[in-house]
Amino acid sequence: MLKDASILVIDDEAVIRDGCTRILQKEGCRVTTVENGKAGVDLINTEKEPFDILLLDLMMPGISGMEVLDTVRTIDDTMIVIVITGYATVESAVEAMKKGAYDFIAKPFTPDQLRIVVRRGAEKRSLQLETERLRREREKSLKDIAYEKSRISTIINCMVDGILVTDRESRIVLHNPAATRLLEIESVPLIDRPISECVGNKDLAKTVTAVLEIEESKYREISQEIIQGEGPGSVFLRADTSPVFDGEGEVMGSVTVVHDITQERQLNQMKSDFLAMVSHELRAPLSAIHQQLSVIQEGMAGSIAEKQKEMLVRAKERTQGTLDLITDLLNLSKIDSGIVIQSKETVSFQDIVEKACQLMEPEAEAKGIALNVHKKEPLPMIHADRESMEKVCINLISNAIKYNVEGGSVTIHLLPEGEFLRIDITDTGIGIPEQDLPRIFDRFYRAKSSKTRMVIGTGLGLPIVKGIIEAHHGSIKIQSKEEKGTTFTVLLPRTPD
Amino acid sequence: MEKTQRVLVVDDDPDLVESVKMMLENKNYEVITAYDGIEGLQKAKEDSPDLIILDVMMPNKDGYEVCHELKADPQYNDIPILLLTAVVSEMSKTTYTHRMGMEIDADDYIDKPVEPAELVKRAEALLQKG
Repeated sequence: MLKDASILVIDDEAVIRDGCTRILQKEGCRVTTVENGKAGVDLINTEKEPFDILLLDLMMPGISGMEVLDTVRTIDDTMIVIVITGYATVESAVEAMKKGAYDFIAKPFTPDQLRIVVRRGAEKRSLQLETERLRREREKSLKDIAYEKSRISTIINCMVDGILVTDRESRIVLHNPAATRLLEIESVPLIDRPISECVGNKDLAKTVTAVLEIEESKYREISQEIIQGEGPGSVFLRADTSPVFDGEGEVMGSVTVVHDITQERQLNQMKSDFLAMVSHELRAPLSAIHQQLSVIQEGMAGSIAEKQKEMLVRAKERTQGTLDLITDLLNLSKIDSGIVIQSKETVSFQDIVEKACQLMEPEAEAKGIALNVHKKEPLPMIHADRESMEKVCINLISNAIKYNVEGGSVTIHLLPEGEFLRIDITDTGIGIPEQDLPRIFDRFYRAKSSKTRMVIGTGLGLPIVKGIIEAHHGSIKIQSKEEKGTTFTVLLPRTPD
Repeated sequence: MEKTQRVLVVDDDPDLVESVKMMLENKNYEVITAYDGIEGLQKAKEDSPDLIILDVMMPNKDGYEVCHELKADPQYNDIPILLLTAVVSEMSKTTYTHRMGMEIDADDYIDKPVEPAELVKRAEALLQKG
C-alpha cells in the first residue's frame, strides 16, 4: 500500500526533505518536496494527480503550516495530512488534528517512525479510496435502475400502439396514453380497477378473461378487430391479447396491444374501389369491341374474306382473354374486401358440383375427356356463398380439363371427413413440375412449359379459388406428378347439425 | 307468313346496341332501340315489343328498376325480359337480391359480351315461351 503512494513533503529544512525522500523512495513511494507553504499550495493546486499523503511541517517561515493545512482541506479534503512538529508540542499537534490532519510525527524522528506513520496514512488513504469507489458504484447502479425504469416507461408511454397489462384477476396494472386514447377510456385512474369497468368494449374484456384461463401448453394469442365509434369517424383497431406466465407456467396476467388499423382499412378499400372502377371502365369498351368483332366476323356487316375472318377470330381471342383477366381482377378485389362471404347460406356442395359438371361437359367432350363424380353419402351440407362455390368448382374442373390430355379423365370424389366435407378433384393431365408447386397459388403465377403455352389463362384462377375457400375457413392442397396428373383436395367446414 | 317479331334493345353504349341490333336483324327480327332506362321504359310501353333486351348498368334508371316496373304492371308483365349483365357472371343476381332485398324477376340473363349464336338462342327461347 505504501508502494506507489504519491507523497508531498513541505518542510523548510533540507535535511528533513532529503531524509524523507530517501526513506520513502526506498519503500517505492513517489516523493515530491517543496521548501515553503506557498510552493506547496501552488503545487497541490496545479498537480493533476492528487497527492495521497502530505507531510507538512508546522513551523515554517512565510505561510505557517496551520494555514497550509486550512487551505489544503478546502482544496482536497481527502488528502491524508501528517503534520511534523518541531518542538514536540502536543498542543499544536492536537490543533492540527482538529483541523483534519490524520496523524503527526515529532522531530527528530527515526526512519522507522516515519515509515510507520506514513504506512498507516497510506492504509487509511487506500481504505478511503476504496470506500469512495464503492459509494460511487452504488450511486451509479441506483441511478442506472432509476434510469432504466424511466426509460422503459418513457418508451411505453411514447408508443403509438396502446398497451394494457392486467394481473390474473384482470385488474389493470399498466397502461399507456395510447391505450386510453384508442380505447376511449375516460375515467382515470385505471390502476387496480377491473378491465371490464374501464374498457367500453365488452369483447375485449371477455377476451382478457379468456386469455387468463389459457394453460401454458395451449399458449396462444387472441386477435380481434374492434370498431370504436360509429359512422365515417369510426376507428378500426386490432387488439392482440396474450397471457403472461411466470417461471412455473402459472398465468400471471395478460398483455393487450392495441393497434390502429383504420388507415390500413381505408387504403385497402381505396385500392378495391380503384380496381373495381378501372375494371368496369375497361370492361365496357372491351365488351363493345368484342361484340363488334363478332358481328363483322359472322359477315353481318358485309361479306369478308377468309383471311380477314381468321384474323378476327384471333382478335376475339385476345379481347376475350383480356375480359377474363378483368373478371378475375374484379373477383380478387371482391375477395380482398370480404364481399364473397357476405351472403352465406346452407348449400349442398354436391348440387354445385353437378351443375358445374353440366356446364363444363361440352368443353370436356371436345377434348374427349370423361367427367366422373363419386359420392360417399350421406354428405354434410356446408355454410357458404353459393356463387363463390360455383366459381371454385368451375375453376378447378376447368383446369382439370384444360391441362388434361386427349381422352383423359377428371374424377371428383365427395366424402365426409371429420368436421369437414372433402372434395378431391383428380385429373390425368400433364401434371405440375415440383418446383412450380409452392407458387401455384400465387397471383399471376403460371407454370411455364411447352405444354401449357397453348392454354389461355390469367394466372388468377387458383388465387381466387384459394381466397374463396379461405374466406370460408376451409383449405386447399395440391398433389401433382408430371405426366401423371394433379389432385386438388379441398376441405370445407360442414354446417353444425 | 308469320308476323315479324319486334325486339327492344336498351343499352347506354351505342356501339353495343348496334352490334346486338345487327345480330338480331341478321335473323330477321325487327329491332327498336333505346339508350337509357327512361327511354327504354317509354318505348316498352308505346311500341309493344315482343321481347326486351335490357342492360343492367344505365344512367337515369338502371335495368333492374326498368325490369321491376314493367313486371309490376299487369299490362306489360308478359313481355319477356333478357337482362344484359356486365358485372361478373352469375354473381350479380344474388348480390343484387341481397343488397336491395328485392327479387329480380327478369326471364333470363346473359353476360356481356354476347356471342351472336348464344344471343339468338336465348332470344328465340324467350319468344317461343311468350
